[in-house]
Amino acid sequence: MKRGITYALVFVAAVGVGHYASVVAAPRVIMQVALTKMSQGGKRINSFQFGPRTTEKSRGVVRPSPDLAYASCVYDLSQGPVLVSAAPSPDQGYVSISVFDARTDNIAVFDTAQYPQGIRFVLAMDGQDAPQGEQVVRAKFAKGVILDRRLAPTAEQFVVADQARRSNICAPVKN
Amino acid sequence: MAEARISRGKLALTVVAGLALGAGSAVWATRAKGMGGEDYSGWSGSRVTGSPDAGPWLRAQVAFSGLLALQRSQAIYFTARTDSEGQPLREGCRYRITGGAMPGKWWSVTVYAADNYLPVNSDGALSFDATEVKPDAAGNWSALAATRPEPGQAWVSTRNAGQFDMTLRIYQPDRSAQDDFRSIPMPRITRLDCAGAA
Repeated sequence: MKRGITYALVFVAAVGVGHYASVVAAPRVIMQVALTKMSQGGKRINSFQFGPRTTEKSRGVVRPSPDLAYASCVYDLSQGPVLVSAAPSPDQGYVSISVFDARTDNIAVFDTAQYPQGIRFVLAMDGQDAPQGEQVVRAKFAKGVILDRRLAPTAEQFVVADQARRSNICAPVKN
Repeated sequence: MAEARISRGKLALTVVAGLALGAGSAVWATRAKGMGGEDYSGWSGSRVTGSPDAGPWLRAQVAFSGLLALQRSQAIYFTARTDSEGQPLREGCRYRITGGAMPGKWWSVTVYAADNYLPVNSDGALSFDATEVKPDAAGNWSALAATRPEPGQAWVSTRNAGQFDMTLRIYQPDRSAQDDFRSIPMPRITRLDCAGAA
């Protein structure tokens, strides 16, 4: 009888530990899979990649918006900070740059309503030196992704947005 | 003594089975809840989506069903899985979506299939947005969610969507909307008819 109770208690405890550990680990695992996919297996780090127009066939990230043009820069700050800049769209349509860390948290977001002339900042880990005079975003984790979202609900608007975003920068800060 | 009769092999098996069940229940629970949060007139949304303030459960829910979602200062997301009568949304039915002026610079409503991706159809109508509806003088608008369009109506196609949900995105929401989701006039989803119904 006591043996049965012991097994039952161990089982219940293991279920609790398994549940909580999975909940905590899931975002990092899912993010790692997404980062690997977006960086083409780790080959495209610290540079913007420009996605095609979202269609019914898009499977890169769950629940994509068909009305937005997406560009992504998978970052790795282990060798130093990264400079990020994004030009506005010429039609003054919605543009945002958002920074997500390895835990999926949206640690910073900027848009062209705040910065109509364009968005520019340095992304650095806590403790890393950043260039003087630059706006700095601090990250707890070395890896994550920066997303450029631009309003582009039609094929014509997508062409305009795509042209504008090609001047984006995501690159290691030069010393 | 009871401790002496406990088999190490059985104990290890018990632990492994418990961990597996716990992991499975976590995946099931987080996936089933979608992006989680509170209910606002049939639309669920969370004030901490994408935010570092999100707890581990909400963070996991968002990772499964809304990875890379923005925090509420930039965009607010709501998801509806049922119509105004609480019935699940499904491809075999037509729905009228009605609403008023939305508190943001731009908004859209998008249909997603059960796999959390866009429904696989070539209708070119995966969403409708603020620029497609025709508000009346009071700002009220309506749109259709169905497998076929109707003349003069903003339309989102549900063809090949199966049992689906709809996500409302409000970009650059007004401060009042950010602070109090209950102040947002949520759209109403009315079932018009269903295939095969008398």
